[in-house]
Amino acid sequence: MKAGDNFSRVFVVDEPVYSGFIQTFHDTNPLHTNDEFARSMGFKSKVMHGNILNGFISYFIGECLPQKNVFILTQEISYSNPVYIGDQLNFSATITEVHESVNVTDIKYKFSKTDGTKVAFGKIKIGLR
Amino acid sequence: MSTSNTLEQVNVIFRDVLDNDSLVITPETRADDVEEWDSLSHIQLIVNIEKHFKVKFLVNEIREWKNVGEMIDCINRKLPA
Repeated sequence: MKAGDNFSRVFVVDEPVYSGFIQTFHDTNPLHTNDEFARSMGFKSKVMHGNILNGFISYFIGECLPQKNVFILTQEISYSNPVYIGDQLNFSATITEVHESVNVTDIKYKFSKTDGTKVAFGKIKIGLR
Repeated sequence: MSTSNTLEQVNVIFRDVLDNDSLVITPETRADDVEEWDSLSHIQLIVNIEKHFKVKFLVNEIREWKNVGEMIDCINRKLPA
């Protein structure tokens, strides 16, 4: 992998992903489980947990890169718009820098909805062994 | 850049990466002297130092460092005069 390389993937926050996250981590805050409550906070309906996206990132790093000998050193994420059940997200990642001395690669990424709305972005630093 | 100035900046990076606000490193400091300085944090230190000083190290250079002083010397050799 080298600076400038780009990778993309499509993820869908569907019912199995949503309910699996709740069953695993037990975050049943009404913002994530109650449409009426979420609407009272100004959202369209219940908002998907932001950390579901981190699960997609984990899958991307572990399964979609050309090398399997990878591990995450740091990961940053900023959320810019809510994600709702059924949303399809286009994930795009670009290698920004390679630190050959320690086999570390910097990646910047973003998640966008199909209408182009950016919902999250950030940086990941991965090590290669 | 003077050795003390470089050491000062490297100390800030060490504190940030190792999450230890009271850490004070000296040229004699070795990895064994700092509890948080393990193999993964070592990688983080190198990456952050490369970014901060806009330098690139060679694998062999890193392997030869015996303490912070040798790291500082290596950084200073790569900085513009």
